[in-house]
Amino acid sequence: MQVVVDGIEVEVAPGTTVLEAAKLVDRWVPTLCFDERMVPFGACRVCLVAVEGAPGPLPACTTTCRDGMRIATTDERSRRIASNVVELVLSELPGPPAEHTELAEVARRLGVGAPRWTGATHPVRHDERHPYLVLRHELCISCGRCVRACDEIQGAFALTATGRGFHSNVTAGLDAGFLQSTCVSCGACADTCPTDAISERLLVALEEAGGASDG
Amino acid sequence: MGTEEISSQTRANHRYFIRIDKAEPRRFRAVVSLAMSHNLIELLKRRGGGPAATLDVLRRALEERGEVTDDDRRAAAAASGLPEATVYGISTFYDDLLRPVGRRDVRVCTGTACWAAAFDGQIRDLEQGLGLRLGTRSEDGELSLTETVCLGFCHSSPSFREGDVVDAGPGALERILSGETAPAPEPEWESTLPEPVLTRPGDYSGLRRALAELTPEQLLEEVKAANLRGRGGAGFPAGLKWEFARKAAGPSKVIVANGDEGDPGSYIDKYLMERNPALLLEGMALAGYAVGAETGYVYVRSEYPRSKPALDAALAAAYEAGELGDDIAGSGFSFHVHVVVGAGSYVVGEETALLNSLQGLRGTVNSRPPFPAERGYHELPTVVNNVETLCNVPFIALRGAEAFAALSPGATPGSKLVCLNERFERPGIWEVPLGTSLREICEGLGGGMRDGRSLKALQIGGPLGGILPAWELDTPFDFEPLAEKGCMLGHGGIVAFDDRTNARELARHLLRFGAHESCGKCFPCRIGMTRALELVSAEEPVDRAKLEELLETLEVASLCAHGSGMPAPIRSLIAHFPEELGLR
Repeated sequence: MQVVVDGIEVEVAPGTTVLEAAKLVDRWVPTLCFDERMVPFGACRVCLVAVEGAPGPLPACTTTCRDGMRIATTDERSRRIASNVVELVLSELPGPPAEHTELAEVARRLGVGAPRWTGATHPVRHDERHPYLVLRHELCISCGRCVRACDEIQGAFALTATGRGFHSNVTAGLDAGFLQSTCVSCGACADTCPTDAISERLLVALEEAGGASDG
Repeated sequence: MGTEEISSQTRANHRYFIRIDKAEPRRFRAVVSLAMSHNLIELLKRRGGGPAATLDVLRRALEERGEVTDDDRRAAAAASGLPEATVYGISTFYDDLLRPVGRRDVRVCTGTACWAAAFDGQIRDLEQGLGLRLGTRSEDGELSLTETVCLGFCHSSPSFREGDVVDAGPGALERILSGETAPAPEPEWESTLPEPVLTRPGDYSGLRRALAELTPEQLLEEVKAANLRGRGGAGFPAGLKWEFARKAAGPSKVIVANGDEGDPGSYIDKYLMERNPALLLEGMALAGYAVGAETGYVYVRSEYPRSKPALDAALAAAYEAGELGDDIAGSGFSFHVHVVVGAGSYVVGEETALLNSLQGLRGTVNSRPPFPAERGYHELPTVVNNVETLCNVPFIALRGAEAFAALSPGATPGSKLVCLNERFERPGIWEVPLGTSLREICEGLGGGMRDGRSLKALQIGGPLGGILPAWELDTPFDFEPLAEKGCMLGHGGIVAFDDRTNARELARHLLRFGAHESCGKCFPCRIGMTRALELVSAEEPVDRAKLEELLETLEVASLCAHGSGMPAPIRSLIAHFPEELGLR
C-alpha cells in the first residue's frame, strides 16, 4: 500500500508504522523513547505528526499506516506540542542535558531552550557500585529504553521501572545495584539511554574531565 | 526460572527486529506488536501463578508484618514466575504496598466528595488528634495513618477506614480518635423507573432465556441493536467491543468486569457489586456466551473491602444453584468467575492498565492497538466492560433491544445509576432514565443543598469531567448534552460543591489527585500534571497563557484519558470562575 509523507509517495508493507514510513523517505521525526531494536512504546509523545482526517496530532511510532494516508511531519501544532513535551522533560532535570546526549540533540533540533514551566526536579542519587556502569537517577526521564533493552534484547530482566507519576525512575534488581541483580554487564542499557542516566564509568569520567564529545 | 527458556524466547523476538530493512519494513510487526512486555507475559503464563499473584503475596506480607521486604519480593517473584526486578517495580507502584502499616491502621479519604464536605479540615483534625502525620507510622509500630481516594461513602462524608471497617459522616472523626470506629450505614437507593433495570435483584432469568432461546450471535445482535454504551466513562458501544472479541482469533477468550471504580465521588459499582452482585455475574456470563468466553474476572478495587466478600458469596450461591459453572442448565455453555483485588491506583481503571494489574504487573497504560478485544489478559481476546455496563445486559437478554430503548425515549437508550454526594439534602443512589434533567436529579431527587447552602457547581462523571456551574442545571443527564457543556456523563457520579467552595482550591485539589495518580508512562502526564499542580499551588496569580498551553499539551499528547481528561475541569474553572482562580 501507499502513503504520502510530506508530499513524498512511498510504498509500505501492511503493519508499517508512520514513523517507519517517515524514515523510509528520510524525514526526521523527533523521538525520545523509540529505539528501532525494540517494540514501539508510545511513552514520550514527542513523535507527534499530523495525519489528514485525524482530529489532532498522532504519535508516529504507534500509529500504523493505512493505504492512502497523508502524513505531515512538520505540522505546526504537532511540532509545538512535541516541543512543549521536550520542554517539560528539560524541566524535570537538575540541569541542562549533556551536549552529546540524544535528549540534547532533540531539544536543539526543535529549538527548545530553557523551560517555561519549572518546579520539582529529581533528587540526585548515584549508584556507582558497578565497575563499568553508573546509574544517575536524577537524569532518568522514564523512557523505558533500558528496561526494554534488558528485557527484549538481552533477556536479562535485570532492570525495572520504579515508582509512579513524576516519581517514576528505573533501577536494577531489588534496588541494590547492578551486581546484586541478574545484570550480565552487556551495556545495552547504557547504549540506548538518551540522557546518560545509565552510562559507562569511563565516559562519565571523560565528560567530567571536559573531554567528552559526540560518539 | 529457566534462563535457557528466556533467552531462546528473546532471541526469537530479536530475530524479528534484525530482519527489518527498507525494502521490507517490519514484516513481522503483527507478531511482535505488543505495547507491553511479551516476555513477561510468557513468564507469567508458564508459571501460572494465577491472576495478580504478585499483588496477593505482597499485600499479605504487608498485612502480616507491616512492611514489604526483599524476601517478600523474592517470594512474589517465585510465586508469579516474574523476575525480581519486575517485582521490585510492582512493589513501588501501588499505594497499598507503599504505605507504612501499624497494628492499628487508619486511613482518611481524600476523595472529592470528602473534600467538598470538609475541604481537608478532617485531615488536619485527624493528624492532630492521633499525633501522627499523614503517610507515617508511630515509632512503636502501633499506629499508622495514610490517605486513600476514595472509599465510596460519598453519601456520608468525611469518611475514614480502620482496617476493613469504614466509618463516615457525623461523629466518625470522634469515633476514630476515641478508638470506637463503627461501620457506617450504606447508602439508600431508589429507582424512578416503573420497571427497574439496575436496581432489580439479579435472578439469572436473562441468562436462562438467552441459553434456551438465543444463539450467541442473536444475543450479540440484540446488544448491538440496544446501543448499550459503556457506562465507565468512554461510552463505547458494548456490542461492538463484543463483536471485535468474538471475531478475534484465540484459543480461549476472557471477560473482565472493571470494578475499579476509582472516580472520587462515585459509588455506583460499589452498590452493584455489594448489593446486587448476582446481576453483575449474570451480565458477565451473558457476555461470555455472546463472545465465546468461559472465564470471567471481576477486578475489584481494594478501597472497597466489602465488595469481594459479597461477590464471592453470590458466586458460591450461583455455582450451588447451577446458574453458573459447567454446562449451565444443560446448554453446553460453561462460565466461571474469579474475583481479584487491586492494590490502590486510579489509572488502573483504564482498560490496558487494568489488564496489566490483573496480571499482577505495574498498572501502567499501554498504547492501543492492540486493543484488549484482540489481545488482552494473557494475550487472549478480552472484553473489558465496566460493572454497570454488564449489569444492563440481563435486561436486554430478557426483554430485548426495543424494551431497552423504550426506557429512555429521545435519549441514549437505557437507565443509569447516578449517585449524589453528602452535600445534597438526600444523598444516595438513584436509577433514572438517561436524558433526565440535572435539575430533576439535583433538586427533585436530591432535594438541593443541605444546611441551607446554595449550589455553586457540579462535577459530573469523575475527576476528568468538566465543572457545570449551577446556572446550567437544565442540561439533560446524557452523553451529548453534557459534552456540549464541556462536561461528560462519565461514570455518573455527581459531586456538588456548595457556596463555600473556592475555585482555586478546587483546581488544586483536582490537580493534586491528577499528579498523584499519573501512572508515569507518558511524558506529558508524568511531568505536566505536576507542573500544573505547581502553577495553581503557588501564592501568586496563575499565568493564564502558560496554564492553557500546558493544558493543551496534556490534552493532545497524553497516552490515556487521565492526562487528556484532567484539563477539562480546569478549563471549566477558567471559563466560569476566572477571578476566583486568580488568573493573570
